[in-house]
Amino acid sequence: MAGRGRGRGGSNLSLTHDQLQALGIARGENTPQNVAPPPLFPKLEVKPLPLPSDAATDYMLIVKEQFIEYLHESPAYVRKEAESDGIERYSDKYKMLALNAKKDKVLDCVWANMPPELRPQAKKVRKAAAAGPKPKLSNAEAIAKRLQTLEKKEIQEGDEAMETNDNEETVNNQEVNDDEEVEDEHEEEFEIDDGTDYANNYFDNGEDYDEEDDNLDDGPVY
Amino acid sequence: MSRQMGRVVSSILERHFGEIVQKVGDDLFSYGGRPIGMLVRHTGLPRNQVVDSLRTLLKFDLATFEPYNDVVVDYKLLPENVLLMIRYPRYLLQMKSKYGSEAEMLVEELLQQATCTATTLLFNIATKFKDDKEKNITILGLKDMFISLVTAGYIQQAPVAELKEGSEIPTLIPVATIVPDLDSRALLQAMNNGHINDIKDNIYWRVNYDRFHLDFRDEIMIKAITRRIDENAGELMRFLLEKMYLTSAPWAPESSPLCAVELRERCRSAATDKPLLHQFVDQYLKVLEENGAGFVRRVGDAGSGQFAVRARHAALQLVLAALEHCVTERLGSKAARIFRLIYTKKYIEEDDIQKNAMLVNKECKQLTYKLMEEHFISVQPMRKPASAGGLAKAIYLYHVKLHTVAYTGLEMCYRSLHNVLRRAAHERSAHARLVDKQRRVRTIVHGMRLRGEPQRNIDDVEETLTPPEQAVLQGVEKRLKQLSTAELELDRNLFIFKWYFMYPYVE
Repeated sequence: MAGRGRGRGGSNLSLTHDQLQALGIARGENTPQNVAPPPLFPKLEVKPLPLPSDAATDYMLIVKEQFIEYLHESPAYVRKEAESDGIERYSDKYKMLALNAKKDKVLDCVWANMPPELRPQAKKVRKAAAAGPKPKLSNAEAIAKRLQTLEKKEIQEGDEAMETNDNEETVNNQEVNDDEEVEDEHEEEFEIDDGTDYANNYFDNGEDYDEEDDNLDDGPVY
Repeated sequence: MSRQMGRVVSSILERHFGEIVQKVGDDLFSYGGRPIGMLVRHTGLPRNQVVDSLRTLLKFDLATFEPYNDVVVDYKLLPENVLLMIRYPRYLLQMKSKYGSEAEMLVEELLQQATCTATTLLFNIATKFKDDKEKNITILGLKDMFISLVTAGYIQQAPVAELKEGSEIPTLIPVATIVPDLDSRALLQAMNNGHINDIKDNIYWRVNYDRFHLDFRDEIMIKAITRRIDENAGELMRFLLEKMYLTSAPWAPESSPLCAVELRERCRSAATDKPLLHQFVDQYLKVLEENGAGFVRRVGDAGSGQFAVRARHAALQLVLAALEHCVTERLGSKAARIFRLIYTKKYIEEDDIQKNAMLVNKECKQLTYKLMEEHFISVQPMRKPASAGGLAKAIYLYHVKLHTVAYTGLEMCYRSLHNVLRRAAHERSAHARLVDKQRRVRTIVHGMRLRGEPQRNIDDVEETLTPPEQAVLQGVEKRLKQLSTAELELDRNLFIFKWYFMYPYVE
């Protein structure tokens, strides 16, 4: 018996009989290995002690609920940006109203104790800075577009100039330009266009009545 | 700063401030200090939401910041303060039972506002209860209460921001609290005018948690002695603690010696309430010294005896009791017996455990290994030099490393706290629709009652909640209440563990 070491006798047990006995496991008691993972929610062997239920506990529970409710109503509770699934609903309007009413409130802090980047005015500056480059970009686009159309016009006008005389050219030029502008505005903002239509001066004092007649006589302009 | 703690902190933030603050808090917890840009990148939240979250965290003193350089600020979460949020109801209960409802209102409002000037605080509460004739709250009464709370140390001055030269980032510097001198006439004037624009007040106040914790500690100690000996002994403990505050630091591990003569005098003044205590002071002191779990120690005989209160030892005893209780509830009383035995013997061999615990060999071994598996005890192998027989046998000594085991207990608290919070959140979200419906029905019914509509119509509205729905709601309510209570109870245990860890570890 003595000296029988680990791994003798072909057994794949890592503990010898003696060692097992020392651990309190008798012969034949070796339980088969359990391969299944333990249950996620093991059964409670002992019933837990009852929780106290006295006036003090009830008071604390109420106070706790109140406090949490207060926090949820206050701007300290940071809400997600309102997400929409792209479907318009009748109730959206009311939801948005309720959300906006809460959103406009800013947490009441001692701003002097906060780092500058968290103060409200810092946010405004940031917003302005963010808003700054945007119009520029659109401007650049508009400018490019404008330049392109102008270029086209120039080529066209060049052709026209060969045919018509100086007097007509200036008039045409003006008309074309006006048309172009109206078109541009059409593209950009449809609603504002209505306003500009009214703003345009349609009053005809009859001064260039004769000239227009001449134009027709001269033949097609385009 | 363990993983379990992180999970609890995260759930608490979610419960109080919503998912977004939780996300920011999680990130701050796992990475320590971070500037805002990193937070935005890592959480994937829009910058304004991160800003809002940080404001919330800073306002409620759940995070701090320190300048990294002149421009960038590092934010840091204060997980200990987050954990205190579940203790708020206890603070309020303490105020209500000790100082009455006015004090409770003051502390409640101050907890809600986090930091606030005295004028705003008083004005807000006074306006809130202006029409409430029953409670009879006046701004002057509140003012007196505020001043007494400041004097007692429950409310303290908030740190003041200071700007260093060449930097825009303020540094918060704690200031000593000075009892304020509030102008009663100005306050009354403000009440009449209905606004406080005329009063210039830029001293901010906040709740001093530490003062509350001292109260809790005293209560626990007094209660422990009361339960162990009797009420008179508990009262004597209270006197001892009172005296202790006068001579030593409040959290001192062991107080400076207190004279028995003074105690006797104190007992004489309370003789009408506790005649027995007055009669048998010396005997009670003796019992307290010998059988008071070591809360009090006799340090000298001068002046008919000198005693010291051992807060540190008290914490140790209470932690031990809590752990023992844990073992009893988890593994049964026999395991608790083994645990106690090992602790009292300090180092013990396996065979001796069996003999001393008087348990069957096999069962004893099983329980011992179970205890070790759950990290309640540890084992220390001692190698003997090879004897003549050639059989080198090692001795295995079992022992309890209290500091480590206390950590195990703390982790268990965190884990169950997280479970409770998680379960409650699940319960709430699973029945959110029903709870919402119930709330709506209640508000409608309330409105109808106010308008004095006939009972029949009210019944009609109430019946929109069907009986099965009502049954479900009742079940949910009951479960949530249970979970909430469990939260408060767990916090009590947490307090004892934290108290123990407050004192630096000595071998």
